Amino acid sequence: MSKKRPAAKKSAKAAKKTAPRRQGMSVVMNKRGGVPERLAAFTNLSLSKPGSDDALESLLEILRDTEEPIDVRLRALQTLGAAAFASPSFPAIERDYIATLRQVATDPDPELRQQVLGILAREKDGFAQKKLLEGLRDPAKALVPPEKALQLLAYDIHAEAYPLAREIVNHPPNAIAKREALRLLGADPGAVPIFERILRDKTETPEIRQVSAAALHGLDPNRLQAQVREIVLDPAEQDEMRETSLTAIKQLAPAAVAQDKQLMDRVAQLSSEGSEPVKLSARQLLGKYPR
Amino acid sequence: MSAGVAARSEHDIAAMIDASAADPDRCADLLREDHEIYAQRGAAAVVRLRGWILLTLARTGITDRTLVHVLEELDAGLDPYLVAAAAHALRTYPRRSPDLAPFLMRAIENVTAHDEPISFEQYGEYATADVSTSPLQEVFETLAWLGPAARAILPQLETLRRKSHALSKARRRDLDRLIANLRNATAVDEKACCSPPFGIRDLWSSARGRTTPPSIGDTRLEDHDGNSLTFDDLCRGHVTIAIFFYTRCDNPLKCSLSVTKLGRLQRLIEERGLTGQIHTAAMTYDPAFDLPDRLRRYGQLRGMRPNAENRLLRAPDGIDPLRRHFALGVSFIESLVNRHRIEAYILDAEGRPVYAFERLRWDEQAVLDRAVEVLNRRETGEAPTTPARSIVSSAMTVMASLAWALFPKCPMCWAAYVSAFGIAGLDRLPYLPWVQPVLAAAMIITLGTTWLRARETGRLEGACLVTVGVILIVLTRFGTLDAAGWGLALTLLGSVIGAFAPRIAHNRAVPA
Repeated sequence: MSKKRPAAKKSAKAAKKTAPRRQGMSVVMNKRGGVPERLAAFTNLSLSKPGSDDALESLLEILRDTEEPIDVRLRALQTLGAAAFASPSFPAIERDYIATLRQVATDPDPELRQQVLGILAREKDGFAQKKLLEGLRDPAKALVPPEKALQLLAYDIHAEAYPLAREIVNHPPNAIAKREALRLLGADPGAVPIFERILRDKTETPEIRQVSAAALHGLDPNRLQAQVREIVLDPAEQDEMRETSLTAIKQLAPAAVAQDKQLMDRVAQLSSEGSEPVKLSARQLLGKYPR
Repeated sequence: MSAGVAARSEHDIAAMIDASAADPDRCADLLREDHEIYAQRGAAAVVRLRGWILLTLARTGITDRTLVHVLEELDAGLDPYLVAAAAHALRTYPRRSPDLAPFLMRAIENVTAHDEPISFEQYGEYATADVSTSPLQEVFETLAWLGPAARAILPQLETLRRKSHALSKARRRDLDRLIANLRNATAVDEKACCSPPFGIRDLWSSARGRTTPPSIGDTRLEDHDGNSLTFDDLCRGHVTIAIFFYTRCDNPLKCSLSVTKLGRLQRLIEERGLTGQIHTAAMTYDPAFDLPDRLRRYGQLRGMRPNAENRLLRAPDGIDPLRRHFALGVSFIESLVNRHRIEAYILDAEGRPVYAFERLRWDEQAVLDRAVEVLNRRETGEAPTTPARSIVSSAMTVMASLAWALFPKCPMCWAAYVSAFGIAGLDRLPYLPWVQPVLAAAMIITLGTTWLRARETGRLEGACLVTVGVILIVLTRFGTLDAAGWGLALTLLGSVIGAFAPRIAHNRAVPA
């Protein structure tokens, strides 16, 4: 038997290494194959190894192809997302990847659209932000529901979303959108008065008020402490908010709070008179600052 | 520009940019961060506008004045569109200088992980297909345009080629071609004719040329520990190195790096035994969000050791007084920064910005050297050099030389002058022989100041010419030569060159 030359030997070795990927790829790309088989074949692509540029490009092709079953396209997207972290070849296709995602962001399938916009928004992509803002301004152009758009815009504090979020807080299309708008405004110092107002508004749900409390702590911890003090002192307050306020005082207030006689008297009162969760929180606070 | 500009749509502004294409100065003015076209727009919109301005400037060609805006994006920009536009625009600069290559190399490092598709076709267009360009593609094309002048970065390009998986096939091909061309190219002499009109590496500038800033001595500040102080308290009695930043800045090459460098400066100040004489201050653009705790943690995480001489500060009543005092390069959407430049200032003991380091990443040692210079001036009572002062000084040199050369030697000469001036009614002027030594002394003093100025600016041409001119005048006065005209001409020319040296420096980093 003749001795193989080193170059040929190397090439044969490489071909042997990539054989499972090529086999897997041929199943994935086979449009006539069954969807379950094709989905299963995605697991054999070994994209974390070098030299997978061609396989990644094929996945981009699947993602772009509106004729492909949506499950296969979604799996291609998922696989590309994983490759972005794991594959050394990924930077080579990044430009095509971003271009493809922008193309697919307006796809007729809502799930695919949402996932793609999510990936782009996390990258603070200007195209995605533009589309999301357009959708919030004009619901007829919306690619995702308003609460999702707000959630995605919150990835970038510079995304020009604060005025729209304030508008949604005042005129929410639904309760979830209002909550997401408040979360987004949690990075906007101009929204401090909004959070103070909502935190003291007993007609708001405890969830919305708690989101406001968390946001206020991030923006102005002193103002939060002033508000939660008032909530604890207020005999007409919701129990859930009392509990939240006691916890906020215990965890976040400066030690000087122990000198606030009026507040500590009220806490002592709540430790024996309130609901069970309120009693517990009040006792924990008293435990931290024994009288 | 009308107040309505800020309210106009982005596309209207883009049309305005297009209309300014024929007037590069007007177009370049739109790149000022504090221009109203950026007010109340999101950061993505600001990127689109600035990118479009760079592309518009490229239509008529990048000039010395606009070059710094291009280099700024290559040096510390992370946005793919702006980096691509800057690299594209640089190819229209008239000189292919080796000084430009390191900026392009830095741009490669900055955007390799963000080599996104970019479209230059229409305003605000985002590429959705791979028929576009990309930042790396533009940078490689610009390096190819630079040709042999890029040879100094060949080793770095070769290192990049070894990490080939980081590049697409097309970019690998571009890089291979570039490396092959550079290997065969002859190195360009850096001091040859094609250098930019100023040393890019020397980026300090005098800020005194600006209009007198309004007094902000009483402006209230709050430091990282929540201590209240005024701007006067911050600056009085020592030199201060002040930088601007904000903790939510998402470009690590700007705010985060500037605060880190300030921490290193703090150590350098200590090592040079200047503690107490030079203070540092990091002031936030975002005072509503950057509360004392946040400032302290941000500084500490970046190596600063905040104390009474090295503070992180916010202006609790708003940034406007500081913005006006420093003419800050920053723009806002509500209270949030949507664009800012890198900026560091050296303040004298009255809080006046004496030197500014703007747009490009600054070097700690260079900043400290300037601060020491300001400190020494304060100790010797010497006023800082300003363009206006240097022009007056140069004029004095010329006038003294002229007067000394033309001063009548004897009563006979005086009579001749008087007869000539008689027409103008000057015949009653008395002969004053003591004026001659006074003028000679004045000429020597101004010659000395010319050399001091030359040492300060690093530009010796003017001082050399003045020296030769003075020698010729002196020799003529003593009858050795008959070259008074040449002497005067050289003195005048040297003085003018010396006088304009600081103006060029000023333009380096304070283009507005």
